[in-house]
Amino acid sequence: MASSLLASSSKRALARRGPAFAKTLLVSRPATTQSDALYVPGGPVYKGTVNDPTTFPTPSRAHTHHWSFERLLSASLIPLTGAAFATSPSVHPVLDGILGVSLVVHSHIGFDSMVVDYLHPRKFPVLGRVATWTLRTATVGVLLGVYQFNTNDIGLTELIGKVWAA
Amino acid sequence: MSLLSRRLPRLARQFSSSAARCLATPVADKPVLNKEFKIYRWNPDEPATKPTLQSYTIDLNQTGPMILDALIKIKNEVDPTLTFRRSCREGICGSCAMNIDGQNTLACLCRIDRNEAKDTKIYPLPHMYVVKDLVPDLTLFYKQYKSIKPYLQNPNPPADGTEFLQSPEDRKKLDGMYECILCACCSTSCPSYWWNQDEYLGPATLMQAYRWIADSRDTHTAERKEVLQNEMSLYRCHTIFNCSRTCPKGLNPALAIARIKMELAAD
Repeated sequence: MASSLLASSSKRALARRGPAFAKTLLVSRPATTQSDALYVPGGPVYKGTVNDPTTFPTPSRAHTHHWSFERLLSASLIPLTGAAFATSPSVHPVLDGILGVSLVVHSHIGFDSMVVDYLHPRKFPVLGRVATWTLRTATVGVLLGVYQFNTNDIGLTELIGKVWAA
Repeated sequence: MSLLSRRLPRLARQFSSSAARCLATPVADKPVLNKEFKIYRWNPDEPATKPTLQSYTIDLNQTGPMILDALIKIKNEVDPTLTFRRSCREGICGSCAMNIDGQNTLACLCRIDRNEAKDTKIYPLPHMYVVKDLVPDLTLFYKQYKSIKPYLQNPNPPADGTEFLQSPEDRKKLDGMYECILCACCSTSCPSYWWNQDEYLGPATLMQAYRWIADSRDTHTAERKEVLQNEMSLYRCHTIFNCSRTCPKGLNPALAIARIKMELAAD
């Protein structure tokens, strides 16, 4: 029963691509099994048979470290922001610099998560990579800008303070 | 003999009372309470026809209290082509999971809103391939469940040939997880699962993964944790909490996922 359901759903996927395509494919391969059908990520065609479990990508500790780092960074931003505003930025330029870098890295991880969620290269091979590299370029650019601003100008904390008071 | 004679009057009483109860008493005094149900319809025999919401109006005073009662009444009396899954009608099989008024839940555990001015909309579980009407294709969901090896892995059975023993404290760790009936309400309410369900396991499967990680009798804990350490399978969870909010059994998959993340980080 399950296989007949799957056969119907794969036919549906073919039908969506246009009647001509579906017809030729179905005629040329009348006994199309699930494993022969074209796999599209997120599509109705499965890898392997219905009784095969899904597979896992190669594991790496890096992803766990990534998660821990991201959580620690998010948590430490709260006292960091408070400390930067409580102290004078001209006296503690290092604190101002740490805040600037942390904010940018935090934003980068957040945006990167969105790219992985919505524009993953397995589904969007071109757009996904363009988005990833645009984000990396932007992050490097913003980091350079924050460095310039903090060394040659008034610095991040003082800017926000001035805007707040204005 | 004496026993029988003592029982006979009681038997007779039972028969008489049940006979009286069997007499159909008309419920004419109950007013008609018509309620509109709008139900998602899609027929695989006509794949080119777009899915539509079909409207059914039934008298709530002639219907049971739950959404499933209404669906069965519609199928029995109005439209026999309406298709949905149901089995136990008491929230233990997980067959009748569907989206009712925007909430994924079991039709058998969901009371009908008796406000007749407002219609009730019923859709299949969101972002799943539809087999027909309210029946979603859960094949991938089951393949993912199979991938976490949802069974006890322990190559060293007890020497005395009896069962694996577990302390009450260790057994308590499984409470809130073993009750899951795999109705897929939580996974299909999760936006991360909507966008990446071919790679992300989803709350239901992850909670079952942790159910076996937390089991003191299982010896493959390290392997179970190892496979989850990739970008997609586990870490697509962004603690949205739709899973815990929607669970018709009142379980907390988000907590189980958080515990997996904590244990992985602590390793």
